[in-house]
Amino acid sequence: MTDLLGVPPALLFGQLLVGLINGSFYAMMSLGVAIIFGMLRIGNFVHGAQYMLGAFGAWYLLRLPELLPGLGLPSLGYWWAFFIVPVVVGMIGALMERLFIRRVYDLEHAYGLLLTVGLAMVIEGLFNVAYGAAGQTYGVPDALKGGINLGFMFLPIYRAWVIGAALVICFGAWFVIERTKLGSYLRAATENPDLVRAFGINVPRMLMLTYAFGVGLAGLAGVMAAPIYQVSPQMGQSIIVTIFAVVVIGGMGSIFGAIVSGLMLGLIEGLTKVFYPEASTTVIFIIMTIVLVFRPAGLFGRETSSHTVADLSSGRVGSILENSRLWLLILAVIGAALPFVVYPIFGMKILCLALFACAYNLIFGYVGLLAFGHAAFYGSAAYVTAHAATAWGLPPEISIFLGICVSTMIGALFGWLAIRRQGLYFAMITLALAQIVYFYAVQSGWTHGEDGIQSVPRGRLFGFIDLNNSLNMYYVTLAVFLAGFAFVNRIVRSPFGRTLKSIRENEPRAISLGYHADRFKLIAFILSAMLSGVAGSMKAIIFQLASLADVFFMTSADVLLMTLIGGVGTMLGPVVGATIVAVLQREFASFGAWVVAMQGAIFVLCVLFLRKGVIGTLEEFLSNREERRHSALDEIKPMDRSPLSQTAEADAGGVR
Amino acid sequence: MHKNALQDDYIIEAEGLTKTFSGFSAVRNVNLKVRRHSIHALIGPNGAGKTTTFNLITKFLSPTAGCIRFNGEDITALRPADVALKGIIRSFQISAVFPRMTVGENVEIALQRPLGCSYHFWQSERSLGNLTERVDQLLDAVGLLGYRNRPAAGLSYGRKRALEIATTLALDPEMMLLDEPMSGLGHEDVERISELIRKVAAQRTILMVEHNLSVVAALSDNITVLAAGQVLSEGPYSVVSQDPRVVEAYIGSVDE
Ligand SMILES: Nc1ncnc2c1ncn2[C@@H]1O[C@H](COP(=O)(O)OP(=O)(O)O)[C@@H](O)[C@H]1O
Ligand SMILES: [Mg+2]
Repeated sequence: MTDLLGVPPALLFGQLLVGLINGSFYAMMSLGVAIIFGMLRIGNFVHGAQYMLGAFGAWYLLRLPELLPGLGLPSLGYWWAFFIVPVVVGMIGALMERLFIRRVYDLEHAYGLLLTVGLAMVIEGLFNVAYGAAGQTYGVPDALKGGINLGFMFLPIYRAWVIGAALVICFGAWFVIERTKLGSYLRAATENPDLVRAFGINVPRMLMLTYAFGVGLAGLAGVMAAPIYQVSPQMGQSIIVTIFAVVVIGGMGSIFGAIVSGLMLGLIEGLTKVFYPEASTTVIFIIMTIVLVFRPAGLFGRETSSHTVADLSSGRVGSILENSRLWLLILAVIGAALPFVVYPIFGMKILCLALFACAYNLIFGYVGLLAFGHAAFYGSAAYVTAHAATAWGLPPEISIFLGICVSTMIGALFGWLAIRRQGLYFAMITLALAQIVYFYAVQSGWTHGEDGIQSVPRGRLFGFIDLNNSLNMYYVTLAVFLAGFAFVNRIVRSPFGRTLKSIRENEPRAISLGYHADRFKLIAFILSAMLSGVAGSMKAIIFQLASLADVFFMTSADVLLMTLIGGVGTMLGPVVGATIVAVLQREFASFGAWVVAMQGAIFVLCVLFLRKGVIGTLEEFLSNREERRHSALDEIKPMDRSPLSQTAEADAGGVR
Repeated sequence: MHKNALQDDYIIEAEGLTKTFSGFSAVRNVNLKVRRHSIHALIGPNGAGKTTTFNLITKFLSPTAGCIRFNGEDITALRPADVALKGIIRSFQISAVFPRMTVGENVEIALQRPLGCSYHFWQSERSLGNLTERVDQLLDAVGLLGYRNRPAAGLSYGRKRALEIATTLALDPEMMLLDEPMSGLGHEDVERISELIRKVAAQRTILMVEHNLSVVAALSDNITVLAAGQVLSEGPYSVVSQDPRVVEAYIGSVDE
């Protein structure tokens, strides 16, 4: 047999087939995500979990007699699953929409993403508790067993069926949405709900059905995937980030783009496995990066000219909770006493996380950009510091410095790629970029894969402070934290910080005054990456370990959760949030596998009931009290009258 | 920035300005010349493309075709912030203040920009020096002095518009673009803002979109009428108001 391009044809076609199969799933999943995003403006991060539900649904149907003994139920095979499961999963989706997602439609996009991240953690966490990491196998249905010998390769019938069915389903859905009356109602409902309501259409129900439809597609993909991949709780988690990247490449909200990019990227991934296997896990993310540089709106997306960031901050100028000197002092005192109350190592964990959250708050709270890839900065700094200290034997201060340099540079690169995008788009891009760093860490030799870099020597700081002494290490960490905390507060209260605030409050107006908003955002992003690097480098020295968990996306989700619980855009919020999360994680540790589900539940509860966070809520309480006092005073003083007297309008003056 | 302006009388010259939104031309082949130190009004029915024209001149939108010159210099390829740095400051159709900042801080943000320290993230705010005096002057000019420490969000609509003008004036722009400065204002406020516009126009050029025809008649030296994205008529109020095409296209759809 002759080789094609130096590769045996069987290998080439085999991988192309695998690529096409993966591509079929990418297309079906991205289609659902694109529909949900296009119609509901929700970045459905729980889509991966819903796909997993589909696969488990098929597996449950097969095992009905064992699951519900005594009812005399038959075991239902693949074809039953093919029709029943998508409907059931879609109904679960409708229920989720009804109970949770509906509540965040009118809020900033960030909350929709956070909510679905939380839901995904709950669902996947629970399945993990029940089934662990092991996968279940699901047989190929009898009718589709066997294969055809095409001469140059062997084509299993089931795989041909998956590809064919996926194509029909995808293009059918595209046709319904883009070319039929029902689809045009759907699109109108999202663009102008009042108008559609005036036609007597029940808009909330329509949105619920749309969500259910998108979720049903994920369920169907799950059923189809069951005989090919292992049915495991992790199957959705590994695919969802890729799906987000596919949707970004196709162009957010472009249904056609999602389908075509899904298929195409699956194929490209397959080809990469043949010609350059090292890159096969990252190729999609790298393509996304290239697409973003040349076509920021994606391959099939339309350029939008919207200039808005989200103002989620709940800090209040002049409040006692924002007095930076006072709190720096208080935190220094509490910090100094802490190692006598808790183990120093736990104290250091809190300080590291708090610094990381302060750094994150800079971009999320003070710029208003939902970054979802800060693990890349934290983790890369941790790895570089660990490597420098371990393999090169460098002293801790130089190792830390190198780690910070690397995270800053990665921050500059990622920021440059992502900064022109807002909202959900920004979140998806940063998430996908961070995934490149993650896979790099998985594959590179120097990072030691699953083991990570262990036994990092702490060494002597500046040659004379022995960090192996845990109190020395603690107070050095405290000093670094306080310096970082003070630095963030200085940034926020600098001329630069003021300009950032104006951009956050009304970006078009700030631009019209001559401020290059993107430059300000980029600088803030780089500073945030740098400070995250400080936290990551410290972490590597303190825990003497840099591992995959540091660059994994859960770390990005954790830092977001800390900032959210504490209070976005408040000075103390990240510190309080980090403390709460650290304590909860310690308390939950005894629950083992339940941790993820519990953390997810906290996410959901926070988004639904504590959007301002602990500090933001406290702030609100304080400011209400102050207002009541003021209005009591106003009644004594006569109100001033001026020529411009008109009733105050409720609008906040933003241009949307 | 030098001015070779004296020999050419126009501060803004837009030629063949066209903007197409996925097949629909919001602005088509518009030629617009604005004379230096004049008040030029842009009028026309809703949807005529006035705001779009503003967005094109200030580069908040990129023109599909056409070019824009400011003081004889081609500014078509500039970014919106750069257009502002050249001295063209715009307002927005919906009031555009920084809602959670105080009235004084709104003005300070503009005053801070020419100081060149806006990127200084390592400095304290105190490094800005004392801007209070300038802030007070500007707020006094628009009658908001008593509101300096109030959050801008709590102002009435009319005061928000006055604050916008104060913020814009803080940059001492050569040219101001005002998009419907009177919309949503009561009678008294309209008079007050008209007076303000007349006062600040002494040193600069103003291009404004306005629906209130009596204001337009009283203030403007020159008028351009847009309809369906195209220039319908041009000239001083006396000429334009007699143009039968304007009467036909405009009167029927004036909403005030
Ligand atoms: N970003 C946009 N995308 C699509 N159509 C637009 C956009 N901006 C304006 N238009 C359309 O262009 C036309 C002119 O709008 P505009 O310039 O706002 O009119 P006006 O004269 O009332 O200010 C309108 O029909 C409007 O719907
Ligand atoms: Mg308009």
